[in-house]
Amino acid sequence: MTDSAPSHGFLFDKWLHLYAERVETMRSSEVRDLLAVTARPDIIALAGGSLDIKASNLGKVSDIVADVLTEAGPEALSYGPSEGHLGLRKFLVKFMADEGVDCDVDDIIITQGGQQALELIAKIFINPGDTIVAEAPTYVGALNAFLSYQASIIQVKMDNNGMIMSNMEKTLKDLRDKGIQPKYIYTIPNSQNPGGLSMSLSRRKKLIKLARDYQTLIVEDSAYRRIRFEGEDIPSLKQLDSANVVYIGTFSKILSAGLRVGWVIAPRPIREKLVFAKQAADLCSSSLAQRIVEQFFHETPVNNHINKLITVCRRRRDTMLDALDEFFPKGTTWTKPIGGFFIWVTLPEYIDTTAMLAKAIQQKVAYVPGKAFFADGSGRNCMRLNYSFPKEKDIKEGVRRLAEVIEQEMELYKRLKV
Amino acid sequence: MKPKIAVLMGGHSLEREISLQSGKRVAAALKRLGYRVAALDVDEHIVTTLKREKADMCFIALHGKFGEDGTIQELLEIMGLPYTGAGVLASMFGMDKALSKEIFKRDGIPTPPFFSLSVGAIKEMGASNVLKDVVADLGLPIVVKPSSQGSALGIKMIETDAELPAAILSALSYDDKVILEKYIKGVEVAVSVLGVERPHALPAVEIVPKKHYFDFEAMYTMGKTDYFVPARIPDETFKQVQHVAVKVFKSLQCKDMGRVDFIIGKDDVPYVLELNTIPGLTETSLLPMAAQEAGMEFDELVEKIVEYGRGSS
Repeated sequence: MTDSAPSHGFLFDKWLHLYAERVETMRSSEVRDLLAVTARPDIIALAGGSLDIKASNLGKVSDIVADVLTEAGPEALSYGPSEGHLGLRKFLVKFMADEGVDCDVDDIIITQGGQQALELIAKIFINPGDTIVAEAPTYVGALNAFLSYQASIIQVKMDNNGMIMSNMEKTLKDLRDKGIQPKYIYTIPNSQNPGGLSMSLSRRKKLIKLARDYQTLIVEDSAYRRIRFEGEDIPSLKQLDSANVVYIGTFSKILSAGLRVGWVIAPRPIREKLVFAKQAADLCSSSLAQRIVEQFFHETPVNNHINKLITVCRRRRDTMLDALDEFFPKGTTWTKPIGGFFIWVTLPEYIDTTAMLAKAIQQKVAYVPGKAFFADGSGRNCMRLNYSFPKEKDIKEGVRRLAEVIEQEMELYKRLKV
Repeated sequence: MKPKIAVLMGGHSLEREISLQSGKRVAAALKRLGYRVAALDVDEHIVTTLKREKADMCFIALHGKFGEDGTIQELLEIMGLPYTGAGVLASMFGMDKALSKEIFKRDGIPTPPFFSLSVGAIKEMGASNVLKDVVADLGLPIVVKPSSQGSALGIKMIETDAELPAAILSALSYDDKVILEKYIKGVEVAVSVLGVERPHALPAVEIVPKKHYFDFEAMYTMGKTDYFVPARIPDETFKQVQHVAVKVFKSLQCKDMGRVDFIIGKDDVPYVLELNTIPGLTETSLLPMAAQEAGMEFDELVEKIVEYGRGSS
């Protein structure tokens, strides 16, 4: 092999020489290809991440859509303000006040789901090679958004009370010693994805202090805050330090992921840049979708609606925890989520959950391999299980099948290891 | 009127997505060529569907288990339906790396030294006790791969013997038999072969993974791998890999199409890794690109394969 230029260029994708460098850091993986097989109806999917829409009493959405189109048809089908529909932002002011966050309509930008907020934040803060600090493990979509702007992501270990602050402090100090300014700390403090655990109040306070001491910003992803089964409602980071926290909310986990409506609340200078970034991305979020959300919560008290979702999710979480207790072999551990949609399972070190997925699929059950939740490929022996979507009988059967696969792996490894 | 062709794609194998891409592309080409086309996602009703469709022949665009291993071929033989690609026996040979490598050895075709271990040997016969011998014989690094997996799924390269049990465990997720193969550092090339009685090789394509080892992720993700066609190897080696590719094709009794993957070692020996009897036909697949380099556009390639399959060429 020589280093000379190819005789024909890069023929397989003849535009390869034209792409931006950031394309190389965009992630795609075998996980996607493996999970493509799991769309079959006979496979119990514990790999999802969404609300069971059928169980969430959305029967009247079709009436709402009709009402919105009758009452505000032209506006609902036109461009709207980049910051978002005023009516929805007014609703969010009250919604946030319920959470203890005092904000004004002008503080809020509506985004296409929380994911767009993550992407816009990455866009305005990350230069190639910049450092972002996040939880280990963390939400795949956030990692992908940051990586697509060529961020270097450092993940800080968690325990049952969230990120371990001594590790966080050491990380920040090490970075400072190297002359590296982390752009922001990304965290999902409530019912975290993938483990369903929340950061304690004392750690939140410590995190806020550390962020200030090291002159970095906190990005708080609050996707699962309202899906809480037990424990006290811990104040959000935004409530504790409004001036140094960018808050991301979403209706994907409490109403519909398909409507793609989320929001971001940020200090004014950041907000201005986010609006510019949003204008470049899509001008505005869907006027129709925003009005559907507004109208839905105009007719349905938020807490009544969410309490119903919590009832369903809590029951399913309990079913999954019971099934794990009943079926999973010794040597495996898992989180006991206090909210959210997921349980994070850790298997013995030698099991590669990406490879094992092939066997699981044969047994007609699917999960998300843990590797996806880390930027550096760790988490190989972990997996995320979803309980918000599957029905209880499927949860039990799915966990049973998975346990069987794991037991076989453990047995086989015993034979391999002499 | 041109014959009706059923394009078989998808299925339940782990390469379902790639197969759907291959199949859709083939179906579109066949339509452009004036054939009547039934694009079929293979499921448990495929036999009844095929009977209902009354196709004259099948274009098999399935990859991996059941599509590339002789299973669907056997079924089509029973149904008396002509199909494209290798027959039952060659499909079985091609899909099973342990088997095909044994045949390479028999026929004097260079292939990296290897051992194969079945799950039965591990479970029932204490095969773990020979792992040390395997390492001593092959030396490190060793490439561990499932014996029957069309794509790069489950392939791991290990650099210490401590990694061996976990790598074998992973590979056994995809198949009941694993290959432990000596890692040969060198240039990776793929040579596609077309034809029936007198098969001929297309230009060699060079694969340059940006990662350490060519794995599934690199194989199917844009930007992770660079490809050069024709491969940047000396003319003599170029001719040699084409020659060996045809030899492999004949040796395994393949027909219509195939792709032979090589590693050209530092010693300039082209070692054969495997033969794929149904190579990918997607927009980023190696066979169509090699064909293009030889001056054959995709539609022409598809028509050629159909003609081979019908036995009219």
